[in-house]
Amino acid sequence: MAQCVQSVQEFIQDSFVPMVAVLCSEDAERVTRKNSLSFPELLRPFCRLTSEGHLRDPNNQVVVVKGLRISVTGINTRPPQTPEMHKLLSQAVSVCQPPEGSPANVITAGDYDLNISATTPWFETYRENFLQSMPASEHEFLNHYLACMLVVSSHEAVPTEQFLKLSQEQHRIQHSGEFTHPKWFNPNTLKYYVLLHDISEGDEQRAESVYEDMKQRYGTQGCYLLKINSRSGSTGADEQMPDPWSQYLHKTSIHSPVNVPLVFADGVSETHPLQLDQPTDAGYPSNNVSQSVNNVDVTRPEKQASVTSHTTPTPRGTCLTLNDHDHIRQFIQEFTFRGLLPHIEKNIRQLNDQLVSRKGLSRSLFSATKKLFGGGKVPEKSIAELKNTAGLLYPSEAPELQIRKMADLCFLVQHYELAYNCYHTAKKDFLSDQAMLYAAGALEMAAVAAFLQSGAPRPYPAHYMDTAIQTYRDVCKNMLLAERCCILSAEILKSQTKYSDAATLLIKMTTEDSDLRSALLLEQAAHCFINMRSPMVRKFAFHMILAGHRFSKAGQKRHALRCYCQALQVYKGKDWTLAEDHINFTIGRQSFTLRQPENAVAAFRHILINDSKQSAVQQAAFLREYLYVYKSMSQLTSDSSLPQLPLPCLHSSQTRVFFGHERRLAEGEKQAATHVSLDQEFDRDLSQLWRELEEQVVAVANRGTVPITFQPSQCCLNSQTDNLRYPLAVVEEPIIVEMVFRNLLKVPLALSALSLLWKFTPKDFSGPQVVCAPFFFYLARLKLLPHKTGELHVLGVVYNLGTGEVDNSEGSLAGDLMCVRGQQNLEIQGPRLNMTKEEKTSVKYGPDHRLDPIITPPMPLLEVFFINFPTGLLCGEIRKAWVEFVNVSAVPLTGLRVASTHPEFFTFGSATSDLTPVTPTAAEHCSAYKTVAMPPSVATVSLVSPAAFGVTSSDRPIVAEIPLSQGVLGPGEALQIPLWLRGPDREGVHEINFLFYYESTEKTAKLSHRVLRHTAFICASRSLSVKATASRSNTLHGRERESEERQEGEDKNGSMLVFVDVENINTSEAGVREFHIVQVSSSSRQWRLHKCINPVGDKDSKLASRERGKLCFKATRCRAEEATSEKYTFADLNLGNEQIVSSTTPCADFFFRSGLPSEPRRGGVSTGGASQMRRQSGTDEGVTNIVKKCSEVELDIIVLWKAYVVEDNKQLILEGQLHVALQTIGKEACSLSQKEEAQEMVLLKFKPDVPPPVSKPSLEQLSHLIKTCLHYPESYDHPFPQKSLCMVPVTLMLSNCSLAQVDVIVDLRHKTTSPESLEVHGSFSWLGQTQYKLQLQAQEVYRLSLKACFFQAGVYNLGTPRVFAKLAQTSAMCETSQQSAMPALIIINSV
Amino acid sequence: FLICVAIRANYPLYIRSVPTQGELKFHYTVHTSLDVVEEKISGVGKALADQRELYLGLLYPTEDYKVYGYVTNSKVKFVIVVDSSNTSLRDNEIRSMFRKLHNSFTDVMCNPFYNPGDPIQSKAFDSIVSTMMVQAC
Repeated sequence: MAQCVQSVQEFIQDSFVPMVAVLCSEDAERVTRKNSLSFPELLRPFCRLTSEGHLRDPNNQVVVVKGLRISVTGINTRPPQTPEMHKLLSQAVSVCQPPEGSPANVITAGDYDLNISATTPWFETYRENFLQSMPASEHEFLNHYLACMLVVSSHEAVPTEQFLKLSQEQHRIQHSGEFTHPKWFNPNTLKYYVLLHDISEGDEQRAESVYEDMKQRYGTQGCYLLKINSRSGSTGADEQMPDPWSQYLHKTSIHSPVNVPLVFADGVSETHPLQLDQPTDAGYPSNNVSQSVNNVDVTRPEKQASVTSHTTPTPRGTCLTLNDHDHIRQFIQEFTFRGLLPHIEKNIRQLNDQLVSRKGLSRSLFSATKKLFGGGKVPEKSIAELKNTAGLLYPSEAPELQIRKMADLCFLVQHYELAYNCYHTAKKDFLSDQAMLYAAGALEMAAVAAFLQSGAPRPYPAHYMDTAIQTYRDVCKNMLLAERCCILSAEILKSQTKYSDAATLLIKMTTEDSDLRSALLLEQAAHCFINMRSPMVRKFAFHMILAGHRFSKAGQKRHALRCYCQALQVYKGKDWTLAEDHINFTIGRQSFTLRQPENAVAAFRHILINDSKQSAVQQAAFLREYLYVYKSMSQLTSDSSLPQLPLPCLHSSQTRVFFGHERRLAEGEKQAATHVSLDQEFDRDLSQLWRELEEQVVAVANRGTVPITFQPSQCCLNSQTDNLRYPLAVVEEPIIVEMVFRNLLKVPLALSALSLLWKFTPKDFSGPQVVCAPFFFYLARLKLLPHKTGELHVLGVVYNLGTGEVDNSEGSLAGDLMCVRGQQNLEIQGPRLNMTKEEKTSVKYGPDHRLDPIITPPMPLLEVFFINFPTGLLCGEIRKAWVEFVNVSAVPLTGLRVASTHPEFFTFGSATSDLTPVTPTAAEHCSAYKTVAMPPSVATVSLVSPAAFGVTSSDRPIVAEIPLSQGVLGPGEALQIPLWLRGPDREGVHEINFLFYYESTEKTAKLSHRVLRHTAFICASRSLSVKATASRSNTLHGRERESEERQEGEDKNGSMLVFVDVENINTSEAGVREFHIVQVSSSSRQWRLHKCINPVGDKDSKLASRERGKLCFKATRCRAEEATSEKYTFADLNLGNEQIVSSTTPCADFFFRSGLPSEPRRGGVSTGGASQMRRQSGTDEGVTNIVKKCSEVELDIIVLWKAYVVEDNKQLILEGQLHVALQTIGKEACSLSQKEEAQEMVLLKFKPDVPPPVSKPSLEQLSHLIKTCLHYPESYDHPFPQKSLCMVPVTLMLSNCSLAQVDVIVDLRHKTTSPESLEVHGSFSWLGQTQYKLQLQAQEVYRLSLKACFFQAGVYNLGTPRVFAKLAQTSAMCETSQQSAMPALIIINSV
Repeated sequence: FLICVAIRANYPLYIRSVPTQGELKFHYTVHTSLDVVEEKISGVGKALADQRELYLGLLYPTEDYKVYGYVTNSKVKFVIVVDSSNTSLRDNEIRSMFRKLHNSFTDVMCNPFYNPGDPIQSKAFDSIVSTMMVQAC
């Protein structure tokens, strides 16, 4: 229970005080009226005695009475009827609010820190008012009048007569039986005669004489002369006088507004709730106080302050001086000590005597008669009593009641020990008589008396109280008494720190019939819980909520709100969401009804923003309520700044900003560059890729160096992009801000009229109405169009929020009603910094300038359209498309460049080729290639430098410059140029990124360049697979030498065979009927295709699905002057009648772009040259290189094909080219797609770094050092009969393939041991020198003449000579046995 | 009616009730019962704290419900509220229910992906509670 101002003892003493009635004459009343007070009111502040009183108990013990208070009331005062009483009490409570900023004490319990008001003044007010308004009951005498003051003014003509009249009046009231209400303690009430003398008016002499008369008549102890009004009211107004009445009277005045009208309207006379009597007799002048308050608005005053301001205009006691105050005080003292206490003492004595005299005889007799005669009577009584508790059991003079009376008297004069004994006895009597009401009363008072006994000889009998309460409540159905009992008991228990019992008691007392009482008691119980030794916080909270609930039912909204707020402290943030939501909701409602919309909004907001677990219906209700409250609040406050809305959740960090127009993706046949759009997801890898592309293109544009200030262009900013810089936006180009809203509720929300809040230029765009579906993200895109340069700051978003339930019948009307306008700020925090130590130890975030773009002067804006751009291609297919560049801005652009991730995919043609812009439609059916009619024959040769195609040896042409007329594309101008595409070599979907770079013609500092992105997806399907092998022709120096080799002249070993295997691997889903190989071209710096030696001859080689064809070509070395140059030799061998000039635009472009020219990839190995090799030849590495070199070829084969495709019943001819790079003799090389299929083949390529550092070149490699070739006649006729020995001349050609000196040993002695040699029947022998040691210079061809000797006819294998070769400087001897695998057969015929 | 709760330091980790209407009332009841639990724990002397019986028994009876409590050694509280008209549940049954609950709770805590203090979202725990509820009702 909360702390109280009074101690418990004081409180109980003050609850039960001697009651004194006042009967005033009219004149006397008029005298007091001068002070705006009635006589009882006049006395009230002085009713507490400051000095001790004494009296003797029946045993002649002196009893000290300390701090006695008496209660003086008008005789006509009635306790109010129950409904009125409720009203009054509720007013008293509602008016008494906790003062603002009241001393709140913080209680820490466990992990709770609660801020709880220490005192509950409203409860004390309630308690005081309640106890004082208790109606006098029959079963107890505590609030029966003990005495009556008869007051007569000295002004009266004959005061004594008046006294007589009043005395008779009093007698009539008490004994006539007409009046039930004022209850009197004793039949012989003490009458105290008071002569009231008005000093300012009356004759003092006369008063004195009358007083003397009275003294004689009533005795000195029974009368008093009270002199007041020492001055006239008007004079002393300015004088500061203490106003002792204020604290007593303002409470009354509070009640007056309601009370007074009631009194007059109902005609119920003589009613007032408190001791203070409201004179309602006709003769009584109307109370000024109540009048004054009557003027006040009848509606309940809200604050104490206002009430006091009402009362201050009528100062009380204006005619009284301090002397008068002393007089009154003296008078009360005199009255109490001389009149009242002796009267009480006398009565006690009397009662005691009666009891003692009766004790021996009558008591036993009494009980005996009861036993004898009352056997049947008692149960009857008790039943009757049970049925009707109000029924009187005892006549007022019954002996049991005498005990009770005595007890009450003792209690009133603070003789608690005797009182307790008497109560105890009475209790026993009542109980034995089954007089439950009486018994309960006695029990209650016995308990209180026991508690109040000083020194506490016996413990407080709590069970007495419990029984009393139970009896009152259950048996007697008298809730008022039960409540009083409960309050007393709880107070006592509390003082004994039995909080738990007190709480139980209080909680038990809560009933359905009175919400106010229940609420107050529950609140007190809650305070009990929190005050326990180990505070029960949660119980406190729970009971606070119950109390709040009851308060709100009782209409005490402020108190309800306070209770809920206190309970919220416990539930807040502890995950008890249901409970928390409930509390918040109630707080919101109460706050709203109390016109505290800010609090209401805050409370509702709390419900809605959390991830609530409420049902959708509940949420919808919350939302409606919130919107309603919000709306009404926003109507009240006419601020220009919109309030912040909590809904829906705005994910600031996910905000994306897009600079530029939204792009049209397609316009007729034209396909616009995809660029960047908000619909794309951010991809870190992709953005890195773009960034690299941009870096490259910028590097090219700045002649090879990337400027320090370079920053990649970012068109779309999001949380992952680099937002440290202020982004740049261009004037007259829109800025689109995309915000992510998330609705965490289960009900839909309607957002409408969204617009951005920004600082700076005045232009704004609002989006359409949108419905934010429950639990979904919603993206809102708002556009902003800057018109001036400067700095822009996007601050937030403004929108209307409404419920998403669109009612069809009411339509927009409902939407308008439940719709509020508010804003949410966009506050974006940058990424957390984690670089320095300081940043690591603390949480710091970097800036994010996504929303603060700088508006720059106008910049050119390029749009790129692609025409006839395919989506699907065969691998290697060549297609011609068109690209259109349009400058849509008002500023000319220049420096147009394009960079791509797949430079081999497209070409704009070489600079040498003519750029006559043929319109796309005209070029539709033409071949992409440049062709020349020519019958198939020997290859035509042309020499081309790669530089002509924009290819430098160092890097691949990632960046291509696009030529513009005069280098500038003016505003609104368009440029169409052809674009050749070649299907990627690998099948599958390819993502090809283009980055178009352009600059403004005038250099502005802010934005050096702009870029446009395009991403194309190409689906490549399989076409042909080309495998090529080169092999050294052994026969070249043999029989054919005479025919062609001669022509080549000095060509030493410069020819080889090239086999090209072509397979149609198209899976024919594209409707490809067949492929024709149209032409095979070669490109190399050293080799060229010379002649087709295919048996197919002049026909196109046709390949249907899954067919495979083989082509065979002879390749020769280029002429010396050609070979040394950096130029590539293109040799075209057409199989049909048309020759495609492979050295011109699309073909050569793609050839160079595909990166096939093998030299750059091989790096320095071959470029080192022979001389270097020789110098290093001592080392093994040199050996390896030399050895490798000798087997290298550098020949690229270009296979040009046509595919016949049926599509939509139309036949189309597609063209394409495939490249194969031949690098090593004998190794099969494939077109790229095949290489990917067989991964291990990559390893077979001779790269110097791939094989581990071999100290010795492998045998395989060494065996290619020397090429051997036997020249002999195929058949030889020899007449064996004539000459038994046949001698055949054989020439062994040894040619050094390497560029180094080689030592060669030719050994003829060895017989072959290989199995196939054994099979050869018969034998022959070599004649002459069996071993030759030779040294061959680089590339030298040496002819060694041998002679074979045959003994008989037959077929012989001449391939027996074994050739060993080693590099000149090394000691390792290796056998070269490469040609021995091929049998050199000779037929010897016998003639 | 039956509701089960696991609570750690005043934060509910798990609440489930059957039937779901009037859930608010249950929440209030359970929350208030924590005071009694705390009272009971603090009532036991320090020396005896180790051998303390985890099962606290009937916390308090209200008009409609019986509230039972259980506290683990790490001060995780379990509360079961049953309809007071439900006579089939005796002390022993409640005790075993708590034990089951505790075991299951321990399993949840052993989950390395469970972040202590988070609401329990384990399916296994859910199913244990569900079966208990089915048995009890």
